[in-house]
Amino acid sequence: MTGAQAFLWVLALVAMGLCARRGAIPARKAVAETGQSLAKILPLFAVALPMAAFLAELVPADAASAWIGPESGLSGIAVGAVAGGFMPGGPFVTFPLVIAFAKAGAGVPQMTALVTGWAIYGIHRIITWEYPVLGWRFVALRMLAGLPLPILAGVLAELIDVVVPITLGRP
Amino acid sequence: MIALLRRHASLMVIAAIGAAAAAALWQKRGSGAVFEALTHAWDLFLFIAPSLLAGLLLAGALRQLISPGALARWMGADSGWFGLVVATLAGALTPGGPMAAFPLVLVLAGAGADRGALVAYILSWGLNGFQRLLIYEVPLLGPEFTIMRVLVTAWMPIIAGWGARRIPIAWEPTR
Repeated sequence: MTGAQAFLWVLALVAMGLCARRGAIPARKAVAETGQSLAKILPLFAVALPMAAFLAELVPADAASAWIGPESGLSGIAVGAVAGGFMPGGPFVTFPLVIAFAKAGAGVPQMTALVTGWAIYGIHRIITWEYPVLGWRFVALRMLAGLPLPILAGVLAELIDVVVPITLGRP
Repeated sequence: MIALLRRHASLMVIAAIGAAAAAALWQKRGSGAVFEALTHAWDLFLFIAPSLLAGLLLAGALRQLISPGALARWMGADSGWFGLVVATLAGALTPGGPMAAFPLVLVLAGAGADRGALVAYILSWGLNGFQRLLIYEVPLLGPEFTIMRVLVTAWMPIIAGWGARRIPIAWEPTR
């Protein structure tokens, strides 16, 4: 278990303790909700992790470096930001794909733009949740307000990466 | 029916891409490569599993402890930068996926939050929701990358919320 995982367990147990102090009903509800979330997420994992693993094997080792490599600069950042918007699902899909791209030679600023683009432009989430729940006007408002941010994030990451080289991947 | 499709849409898209990729890999490098990729996927799952379970437990407990509606009185149209900062913090602290976060926007709107604060809230959840950071991003992409990305993007929802208050698109909750 890594440090971050241990930290997460401490937080979870403290929060569960606080729930239990409020009474048996909130505690039971919290555990029941955890079970429900798990039942929702496990099928997604069962298809998303193999998908990312297959794609990682298929993508040649330096395929990504021309488009989104560390030397690709601003155009690579823009490609990353737009590609992020087209990621086909939640973090269980996007992050394994980022690992696959990094293995194929993608740069850290470009991947920062991709993760930020996924968070802000993510089309799958707009179609499945934001539009049905909040409507087009809200989508338009949020997209306009957030439009330059993924590019900006990539540029800032590039500035940081020059001063302090950042590694991407498991500790 | 539509709700059912919506809930399973991403599952089906991912499964289709996965099946196509598996077929292509089989064609190119044989069944051994497919099996090896599946082993990698299983290893990755075992690596994430402890964080996943703890993160979901934390989210379940926090939902019993915190009522987001209580924060909305600090997020009104006259709340200025303070309201945007509160909204940004609330977004980053909101546990759970889109099925929890988007309905909460309606709750906050009903309790008095304005459109700028709501844009800041949902952007902050999407960019830096703590549950996603701890369950997925730190284990998969590493602490260095995650911390750098959070530092680069943490303040962005505040600016976007400020911008959203000046964009002339009126929005009212539909339900």
